[in-house]
Amino acid sequence: MMFDYVRHHAWLGFSLIALGLIVGPFVVVVFALSGQFAAIDWSLLATDAYLRAVIWFSIWQAALSTVLSVGLALPLARALARRQFVGRGLLLRVFSVALVIPPIVAVYGLVVVHGRQGWVNELLRYLDLSSGSYLYGLVGILLAHVFFNLPLATRIVLQRMESIEPESWRLASQLGMSSWQHWRLLEWPHIRSVLAPLAALIFALCFTSFAIIMSLGGGPRATTLEVAIYQAVRLDFDLPLATQLSLVQLVLCSFIVWLGLRLGRPAEISHSIGVHVVRPDIGSWQSKLADVLLLLLGLVLIVLPLSGVILAGLNGHWGQVLGDAQLWLAAWNSLWVAVCAAALCLFMAWGLLLMRRHTQERWPWVAAVLESVGMLTLVMPALVLGTGLFLALRLWVDVFAINLYLVLLVNSILGLPFMLRVLTAPYLQLARQHDRLCTSLDISGWHRLRQIEWPLLKPAIGLGLAIVAAFSVGDLGVVALFGTPDIKTLPLLMYQRLGSYQADAAAVTAVVLLALCLLVFVMMEKGVGGRRA
Amino acid sequence: MLELKRVQASQGRNQFCFTGTLSQGKCTALMGASGAGKTTLLNLLAGFVMPDSGQLLWQGQELATLSPAQRPFTSLFQEHNLFAHLNLFDNVGLGLHPGLRLLPEQVEAVDLALQQVGLGGMGQRLPSSLSGGQRQRTALARALVRRQPWLLLDEPFSALDPGLRQEMMSLVSDLQQQYQLSIVLVTHDPQEALKMASEVMFIAEGGVYWQGHGNEFLQQINEPIQRYLGHTTG
Repeated sequence: MMFDYVRHHAWLGFSLIALGLIVGPFVVVVFALSGQFAAIDWSLLATDAYLRAVIWFSIWQAALSTVLSVGLALPLARALARRQFVGRGLLLRVFSVALVIPPIVAVYGLVVVHGRQGWVNELLRYLDLSSGSYLYGLVGILLAHVFFNLPLATRIVLQRMESIEPESWRLASQLGMSSWQHWRLLEWPHIRSVLAPLAALIFALCFTSFAIIMSLGGGPRATTLEVAIYQAVRLDFDLPLATQLSLVQLVLCSFIVWLGLRLGRPAEISHSIGVHVVRPDIGSWQSKLADVLLLLLGLVLIVLPLSGVILAGLNGHWGQVLGDAQLWLAAWNSLWVAVCAAALCLFMAWGLLLMRRHTQERWPWVAAVLESVGMLTLVMPALVLGTGLFLALRLWVDVFAINLYLVLLVNSILGLPFMLRVLTAPYLQLARQHDRLCTSLDISGWHRLRQIEWPLLKPAIGLGLAIVAAFSVGDLGVVALFGTPDIKTLPLLMYQRLGSYQADAAAVTAVVLLALCLLVFVMMEKGVGGRRA
Repeated sequence: MLELKRVQASQGRNQFCFTGTLSQGKCTALMGASGAGKTTLLNLLAGFVMPDSGQLLWQGQELATLSPAQRPFTSLFQEHNLFAHLNLFDNVGLGLHPGLRLLPEQVEAVDLALQQVGLGGMGQRLPSSLSGGQRQRTALARALVRRQPWLLLDEPFSALDPGLRQEMMSLVSDLQQQYQLSIVLVTHDPQEALKMASEVMFIAEGGVYWQGHGNEFLQQINEPIQRYLGHTTG
């Protein structure tokens, strides 16, 4: 009896450990920040022009990035839904990994294409047109944010469009609907519900974007809160200011995410690409021309910078860079931190889902609280979390000595919303379908995990691990806060090489970093998820 | 004998209170309009739904405190009886050990059960390669290896063609004879139920409305039963 009791409640221990790992750092951060409260000068918000410029610019660039990404995603997704062409599958594949490409690599790609010596300026010079520098500042930041978020938005909108029943299309063609009526009566109602949360997600990602602003922004006219926090901690060691900025950021970010969730339901992230339906609105030459132009624009915005990275890398001095032990040490650090962060993130997500499944019948409010715990990390930006941990831990340990472990922990927490988006739907679906059968056959705990959940959820688990691990490989946020000259990750090395005008070395490092990121992604996705994933 | 003494449960806004007895070694048909609470009663017996109060006694022992796996029941649902990623042998074997660690005699028992339901030699196939009838046979084979005295059937054959349904019903009847099973059968077709069941429990108005022999059931002139059978107009 005793043994049975322990066996049937083992999940609780597992879940509590996971919950502690997630909530613990938050509590630590809140305590650490509250220690700085007294020293904050709130009047700065009203009087300090620099501070106000930073807040205003954070909001302005995030809003513009969101409008551009979502605004372009709608027609681009429509073009992709309407057309079948050679390379469409490959393009969608590129779109699906674009989100996890390391920001510093994307920045490098943009420099290759749009920089002072870049392809665009070369072309302008060749045509005897005025060339110039436009990359650094708002334009570059928007280009980079669109690079990351347009593919994400396009995938989600396309997924919704492809969920329209084929019968609806047949009916529409029988009723002789026009292209505009298709949009209004069929597509828009399917897309509407995911749009607000999608916009909120993109806004939050751009609002807290760090590496891109660090590289392409700068000065009071192009600095965001996230970068200002970094500067306050790392350069000025002004902790009250860092706390103040963190709080401002937290409040604004929570408001946006809350607003987005209120206005709709977040879309799931999954592999599934719907069945392609032949739509009735593909005949006219105007629509063909429009779609071709849109697809070309997509290629220019997303594929061109990526090709830039690869082409520039091919011309680099490979022997010299690859012979550098520093590169391999940094790559190894990035790799193990990423793999461990993904595993830890899976552990946390699993604990949350386990508890949610066990409580959703009897105590629905517990399940609701757990759901919002998963979203918590979306509003707690990386540097706020990092700053809090830095402040709390520096009293007891040498923060710089354990920096990679901290990066690991923070990355796993930051990956949680993505892991949960991938895992939650299939996990709860499996529970709905098989819970009665499993309880009646006494399949629980380890047996349930091994016999039922692992085989059925493997593809989702693989995808979740792939996203979190790849994210972590490219992370240049937390690591910048904790990094030291002798312990580096690959993105940090890359950033330094870009900064010190070692263009050749940077080009090769970018390719290595991109390759490592994609390798980790595929390794997790196929290796864990199975070949068919 | 299985006794229900004022077993209360609530499902959404509906309140239920069941009192009645189910006799051992027989097949009892659970009838009633849809939404009357047939499945709720079945879930209460199996332990998927916990009662708010009341007693559920089997041979004098209280069942309400036991987990579904500890109760003397084995269930056959309308669908999702099998795990799609496991082959037939493993699906049946799960009835003997939830981690599939089977002793040699248990392996034999699984093979035998598959033979008894007419699926001998098909243990390595996956559920997706089977017809609906074959899938339910597999689930029945698992019910057999579990050796529980009670079999709970929740409209398990309603998705099958009439001919197949007949076939499955007679298979269940044969197995009942052979293993001395007690059966509770939920169905929405009274004619069919009465071919198999000797007892009837009629559920209406939030509880057991009428209980008796099958041949008396059709003669009842109670308003809810008449309406259920479609004998009243308007």
